Amino acid sequence: MHSTAPRRGAVAAALALGLVAPLAACSAEPASSADAQQYASWEEVLEAADGQTVKLWMYGGDEQGNAYVNDVLVPAAAELGVTLEQVPIADTPDALNRILSEVQAGETDGEVDLVWVNGNNFGTGKEAGAWECGWTDLLPNMALTDPDDPLLLNDFGTPVDGCEAPWHKAQFTFVYNSDTVTDVPTTLDELLEWAKANPGRFTYPAPPDFTGSVFVREVLYSVHGGPDGVPLAYSEEDFAELTPALFETLQELEPYLWREGTTYPQNSNELNELYANGEVDFTMTYGPATLTALVEDGTYPAGTKVLTLEEGTVGNASFLGLASTSGSKAGAMVVANLALSVEQQVAKAQPDVWGQFTVLDLDQLSDEQRAQFEALPESPVVPSYDVLSENANPELASAWVTPIDEEWRRLVLTQ
Amino acid sequence: MLTTPLPGADARARQRASRERWVGLAMVAPALAVAGVVVVGGIGMSVVQSVGLLPLVGEARFTLDAYVANGDELLTGLALSLGIATASTLLSSVIGLAAAVIITQGRITGRLVAGLSAVTIPVPHLVGAAAVGLLVADSGLLPRWFGVEPGAWPDLVGGPWWVAVVLEYTWKESAFIALVVAGVLATRVARYDETAALLGASRARRLRHIVIPLATPAVIVSAIIVFVYTFGSYEVAWLLGRPYPEPLPVLAFRLFNSITLTSRPEAAAVAVITTVVSLLAVAVGMALLRRTPLWR
Repeated sequence: MHSTAPRRGAVAAALALGLVAPLAACSAEPASSADAQQYASWEEVLEAADGQTVKLWMYGGDEQGNAYVNDVLVPAAAELGVTLEQVPIADTPDALNRILSEVQAGETDGEVDLVWVNGNNFGTGKEAGAWECGWTDLLPNMALTDPDDPLLLNDFGTPVDGCEAPWHKAQFTFVYNSDTVTDVPTTLDELLEWAKANPGRFTYPAPPDFTGSVFVREVLYSVHGGPDGVPLAYSEEDFAELTPALFETLQELEPYLWREGTTYPQNSNELNELYANGEVDFTMTYGPATLTALVEDGTYPAGTKVLTLEEGTVGNASFLGLASTSGSKAGAMVVANLALSVEQQVAKAQPDVWGQFTVLDLDQLSDEQRAQFEALPESPVVPSYDVLSENANPELASAWVTPIDEEWRRLVLTQ
Repeated sequence: MLTTPLPGADARARQRASRERWVGLAMVAPALAVAGVVVVGGIGMSVVQSVGLLPLVGEARFTLDAYVANGDELLTGLALSLGIATASTLLSSVIGLAAAVIITQGRITGRLVAGLSAVTIPVPHLVGAAAVGLLVADSGLLPRWFGVEPGAWPDLVGGPWWVAVVLEYTWKESAFIALVVAGVLATRVARYDETAALLGASRARRLRHIVIPLATPAVIVSAIIVFVYTFGSYEVAWLLGRPYPEPLPVLAFRLFNSITLTSRPEAAAVAVITTVVSLLAVAVGMALLRRTPLWR
């Protein structure tokens, strides 16, 4: 019977090989977009969309955003015959990774239809074939946007190419407690000086957190005298020449940060908690619109104010990307078009709803439509988009983002 | 007409034995297949990805780059994970054993401890981690109760010693060990204990010579499970930890989710290393188990 042992071994080996070999064989190939989902006109899209279910994957850490989608956008989509479901995620790369895994597996009816996306998530996804492209021309409401708006043509330096439909604009904003900060900084340089003069009262989230990452890029602009000092397109030479001054500045700053800079908040929520708890005097956000409600309900100190910097801050637009692996592309297009409509953009801009700035060009609207935007209430905490976006700085190309984040990890976090 | 039954009977017996073996194999086949798909499929996928044979972009070719790409972070992560898992396992074993002894005493305190352990088990680790965070963070319930300023409170959450992480694991896993060990003790210890008591052995001597030796195999087995679990668990360490250094599972997940397309093989490499270390830990634990006198 001693012959069974090797035979059993051979069976196990064959079993293992049989399981592993097909895995190795199916290396990544871009999923060929299903021809059944190509549409020539908006009518065809509407017809195909009827009865489809669309899953919108979006960052779920913003309660107002969740409420807007579920209470306003979902019912409106249902009227058009599309069942919209929100999939709240911790971070946008979760959605991108899901699509990439589906692309790898050749899936054509994946779990992801729409993704709230921009920046390097969009750029990397486009490179890897995660997005359906060239479909936004079909959307009737695209006519309400400015065709030459640079924020809508390039997403962190990656040409949009109809691979995503605009959703809202954002302005990076510093927030401070005016009860404890008496000598208010007016430039980023002064803010860093303030941090050094008040040890332990300032910090920023650790990149690759979105907010922490943009803070580091703001400092990069600042140490080179503004956005003009840094070419938007990435090159290794520029990186080698320009970033040493940035990391030197951040290393010098480190001992004066919260917990002496031995650690950093892991994400912007942790920083917001520190601010709400009075442990630091500054926080920062891409969504200043939420501040009004946070001050009103007492989460943030009553003295909370927006800090406008002389040199301006980074502004960008965010989009709805359509997954190349989606099986409900028509439904997704209908939702993207709906999200661009005047009614939805106005509803979303209400400070007590979500307060997101519109991507529509007010000059393209009728007087009546424009009046709806002009009637939006003013906030005691947050100035209007015009004031916030004054001197708005362009975002660096997304190719800059990952190298800076990784270098920050190597030179600042782990030192 | 003289028959020689022995060779034929021998052959039949051998045939029967062989048939039984195949029947046995056929009966465990479904279980083997499921375990095979999960273990061989999952781990096989990770191994294949980690050596560059399943890239997201570019050509598939064998390379070990993914194993060296994060050399330093991998070593610090390994040390940190081993530290967290060892501390959690030791603390849980000591507390769990003590709780098991109290439970088997069977008095009202015993029933209380058994009840507490039973309630602890079904709490998911994620909920446990959130609860520990709310309790002991700078802005948590405890510092507020004691009126301690956030700056004066020790860095338990996200601090350099990972106290909150070990605390959460110890809380959950000591309850697990307590129930497993109490189950073993309840069936085996009573008779020996009573006999020894009748023969005049003191409480301390009974504990030392009867209860602890009887409990040791169960403690070792459950400690192996706790070690491997805490070594490979992600959410508690992420929620209550700090951005650097990272335990292996957190490192693997960050790399997997990283926006750089080439970092997926690196994530798979970290996962493979985590698996190998876990298997080694099981091997060491089983070797220890075989050396206990009561192992059957």
